[in-house]
Amino acid sequence: MLLTIRESISIALKEALNNNKNCFMMGEDIAGYGGAYSITKGFLEEFGKDRIIDTPISESAIVGAACGAAMAGMKPIVEIMSINFTLLAIDQIVNNIAKLSYLSNGQIKVPLIIRTVTGGGGQLSSTHSQSLEHWYASIPGLTVVTPSNAYDALGLFRTSVKSQNPILFIEHGMIYRNKNEVPDDYYEIPFGRANISLVGEDITIISYSKMSCVALEVSDILKKEFNVSCDVIDLRTLSPLDSESIINSVKKTGKAVIIEEAHKTGGFAGELIAIIQEACFDYLDSPIIRICSEDIPIPYSRKLEDSIIPNTNFAVSEISQKFNLKKLTY
Amino acid sequence: MAIEMNMPQLGYDMSHGTLIRWLKEEGSLVKKGEPVVEIETDKAVVEVEAEEAGVLRKILVLEGVSVPVGSPIAIIGEKDENISDFDISNVVDSLDNSSEEEAVDPINVIDDSKTDSILAIKEEEDIKQNLVVRASPIARRIAKEKNIDLNKVKGSGPLGRIVKEDVLNISQTQVLDNVDKKVPLSKMRQQIARVTSTSKNEKPHFYVSCEINMTKVIEFRSQLNKSLENQNIKISINDLIIKASIEALIKFPNFNAYLLENNIIINDEINVGIAISETEGLTVPAIMNCRNKSLTEISIASKDLISRVKDGTLNSSEYTGGTFAISNLGMFDVSNFIAIIQPPQTAVIAVGTVMNKPIVVEGNIVIAQMMNATLSADHRIVDGADGARFISAVKYALENPIGFLI
Repeated sequence: MLLTIRESISIALKEALNNNKNCFMMGEDIAGYGGAYSITKGFLEEFGKDRIIDTPISESAIVGAACGAAMAGMKPIVEIMSINFTLLAIDQIVNNIAKLSYLSNGQIKVPLIIRTVTGGGGQLSSTHSQSLEHWYASIPGLTVVTPSNAYDALGLFRTSVKSQNPILFIEHGMIYRNKNEVPDDYYEIPFGRANISLVGEDITIISYSKMSCVALEVSDILKKEFNVSCDVIDLRTLSPLDSESIINSVKKTGKAVIIEEAHKTGGFAGELIAIIQEACFDYLDSPIIRICSEDIPIPYSRKLEDSIIPNTNFAVSEISQKFNLKKLTY
Repeated sequence: MAIEMNMPQLGYDMSHGTLIRWLKEEGSLVKKGEPVVEIETDKAVVEVEAEEAGVLRKILVLEGVSVPVGSPIAIIGEKDENISDFDISNVVDSLDNSSEEEAVDPINVIDDSKTDSILAIKEEEDIKQNLVVRASPIARRIAKEKNIDLNKVKGSGPLGRIVKEDVLNISQTQVLDNVDKKVPLSKMRQQIARVTSTSKNEKPHFYVSCEINMTKVIEFRSQLNKSLENQNIKISINDLIIKASIEALIKFPNFNAYLLENNIIINDEINVGIAISETEGLTVPAIMNCRNKSLTEISIASKDLISRVKDGTLNSSEYTGGTFAISNLGMFDVSNFIAIIQPPQTAVIAVGTVMNKPIVVEGNIVIAQMMNATLSADHRIVDGADGARFISAVKYALENPIGFLI
């Protein structure tokens, strides 16, 4: 069946609530209003106010309470309206939920899912448009899930529900409406397994979340205009990371491009580049290209915002210039 | 009163100097004239002396760093003197940090392109000088495996980078033959290239040659050397040519001059440069203050100069202070040659080997020891007739060596 990401996450949540009586949801405006992104529309009516809980506007309280509930054996699913607001709960996330299992020698588990929304592109200005998922990917003990399509979102959410570890399930606000074919039969997608969404020979493009959609468009243009074929790798989870798929692909192509929405400095692209050069130095045929957001706060203005966040045309021109690709002439 | 010590101009076209070694630590006493720091120029490593006595209060440029001529490198002052008037906040510890940083508005974007571009320029220079071949890692690996010389591969990648395809193609089909070997210019050769091209570009050279009968002066020299034997002094032919040139320069001071805008500046001192060929290339250090030097004094000074060129212990003024020059290829079997003037000087004299030749003296053919000399002079300052008078004066002095004793 053809589903949007919004629908597939909604289905995944209902599945979790139906299959697990310990599962409940907390968040700002998720009950009466149906969620800022309409993911939980109708949930209050279906599951009742004990399981779909509207909270005060206090992210540290939401995550802290959910952490306690998870420690006590519940399966809380928390919605933080924007990844920018997780900063108010960063102590709970980094110092509590990521560490408790280790601090207690595994006696305490925190099987908590924090759903949140990342990325810019919606004219929400500098404080509501950041991509911070890679910050959390650098914290051992957190699983960071970054789906780019409905199929992955559903499969990865099912795995998240089963996990005994804390999960940051990070959705992108600009691709909720993207549609994909999703099988009716039950399936799961394991963590740490990238999706090779396209197989090619010449260039490896690595990305995740919304930029995976850009990567596919880019590879399409590169094929048509330059007769260059790409391996397109969608990481799906930043932590655990599927280094093996990256390394195998770059060894084959010798050329790597990373498209990421986070700011260039300190972004995840830098980490990927380090991994590639450590493992594939003698296979590289060119410096690795990273296409990231400029190092300035994301602007409100539509035109400025568009010029800061990587897009398909910009990526194609960067790649063709830096790899010296020759345009086909007919 | 504290003073700034600045990067000195140690060469006519020196724009930057690299700080090799501080010979004094911060806080140590320095005497006036005492070496404080070693500076490397294109030509040599030179010790720079303190202009004033005092305490080395603050080092402003770290070792290994190159800064433009005139940039402050240290502060010398009294022990407890307040030196806050000097800009001592910015110690230069890396490339091109010397320019004043603009005040950065916190809202402004941090410009990483600056460091990027410095690195890029550095890489570009290395590539130009052939210090590195631009090739991708996989191209290097394949080249190594297949024993391909990357210098012989033409790169098709961005910026001419040799990519995998290029080495694969070459290993399958053609190895480019007849590829000329590229040897990067050493720093010294670059310097010579700059100086000689500048000279030829800005100085309209003209040349005047003559034959000089060296018979008497050689006889004079052997008698002189016999009498100087116990003083362990041996006068060379070149010393005699230097002495003869000094006499000509005293008579014709326009040959001991340089051009500054629309003025001829006549040097008060006569510092005779001698072209010395080292393994790396040519230098023309000068024997300073020659005007009143006797022949033996010149001989001693010239030997000292040559030995210190080999040690690399010349000071900066000796490298750059020449006001006239002599180039002597007499040790080779060379009959004559023409030299290029060393800017900002006005003239240079080039001499060949002394050879036995038949000449006519009072209607008789006799054998004489003859030497060719050619003057190169800057036509902006002197004319052909001046050149003829000058070289005749040199010739006269050498052919009538008794004058050297006066």
